[in-house]
Amino acid sequence: MNPKYLTLNSLDPRVNRLPQINEASPKAPLDQFGTFEVFVQPKEGKPFQHEGIVHAPNIELAWVLAKETFTRRFTCTSLYVVDTREVFVSPLTEGANNAYDLISSTDEPGPKKTFEIYHLVKRGKQHVHVGSVLAATPQQAMSEAKKQFNSGKVIYNVWAIASEAIRFTTSEEKELWVTLPDKKFRDASDYKGGDKLKEFLERNQSQP
Amino acid sequence: MNNLALKELLYKLADDQLILGHRNSEWTGFGPILEEDIAFSSMAQDKIGQSLALYTLLQSLGESDPDTVAFTRNASQFHNCILVELPNQEYDFSLIRHFLFDTAEALRFEALTNSSYEPLSQLARKIRGELRYHTLHANTWIKQLGSATEESITRLQKSLDIALPYALGIFELSSLEKELIDQKIFIGENALKEKWIAKIESVLSQTQLRLPDWKTVTPVYGGREGKHSEHLQPLLDEMSEVFRIDPGAEW
Repeated sequence: MNPKYLTLNSLDPRVNRLPQINEASPKAPLDQFGTFEVFVQPKEGKPFQHEGIVHAPNIELAWVLAKETFTRRFTCTSLYVVDTREVFVSPLTEGANNAYDLISSTDEPGPKKTFEIYHLVKRGKQHVHVGSVLAATPQQAMSEAKKQFNSGKVIYNVWAIASEAIRFTTSEEKELWVTLPDKKFRDASDYKGGDKLKEFLERNQSQP
Repeated sequence: MNNLALKELLYKLADDQLILGHRNSEWTGFGPILEEDIAFSSMAQDKIGQSLALYTLLQSLGESDPDTVAFTRNASQFHNCILVELPNQEYDFSLIRHFLFDTAEALRFEALTNSSYEPLSQLARKIRGELRYHTLHANTWIKQLGSATEESITRLQKSLDIALPYALGIFELSSLEKELIDQKIFIGENALKEKWIAKIESVLSQTQLRLPDWKTVTPVYGGREGKHSEHLQPLLDEMSEVFRIDPGAEW
């Protein structure tokens, strides 16, 4: 165990599981097929948002499986996936506490690369893409995000993902969703179950 | 335009999609992992949808409505290739069949985007994204499992050897082949088979799976003229069960 965690020295296991403050750390994967985080763009011009995870043996299959797991209903223009271990997360806050207040400014030497930044603006909602920054490390990406995207409005959690780790949708692949709007049969509301039940009940009532 | 040749082509395309769509839907709830279960089921739905579009084209050419055509014919009146009616067996077989069939299907519709029969070329362009996904799904799994473990390679190889003679049955020649080609409705089964062999070889060369010398593989024909295996009629009986109880049932 990381000795830093022991310094909390609590008998409550929940406290010992708390993430370290001031440190961007990778999100833990599950102990089966690796997990990949799935981000979906519902409409052209809208930001990508986190939808959930898929299990897959590699990132290409993760992209393939994510397409049907998360975009077989409603509208979608694009999606991308990334290995869960590539997602760096800030501390999670609540109430009026801004996660950015817990991120310290760092400056790191070394070549810079692009990181995508995501905000959680409401607990229980999805992380939404807000933009990208140039940084040498995930920690520095958090610090850069604080400079560029911290408006003072409460953000409960910040994610940083190196763009090079992401399997994006190519422009050619966008045709995968062309026929999606036709597939109303995948949407429960298309079966008008409520209307049919009402009709059935009325028909039974009118009979003696 | 030769309606007879065109109708025959549409029937075999529609029946292939309907029967394989139904077979693949039998995996719903039994897939190897949740994500794959969903993907395979969605693609099965796509195939049923494509068969509906093709049966609708047939209706516009004077045939009965899609439900009647799909649910009231006997096995001997179906023109699908035998490959698509074979039972699912283990997932390795279903996956190999998906790869072999969908590769041919995608190439077939790609060729049909240039068909002189405009409604068919329109449909081919419309479903191009769906077919692109189906082949991407198949190729990605075959590349992964075809090079993964001794078990995955052995199982896929065994299924490949069993499926190949039936896969060649996809390209069974019609007596109206020449009319289709002359009228530029379709490039013909022989031209399609050549493209298919090249594609199959290119994907499998990226795995540890081995193809036999094509000359040693004897195609299993008959499906296109209604001579099927014993597996098709039970499938049709199950598929049409509700329709036969209540043809006007609404969903």
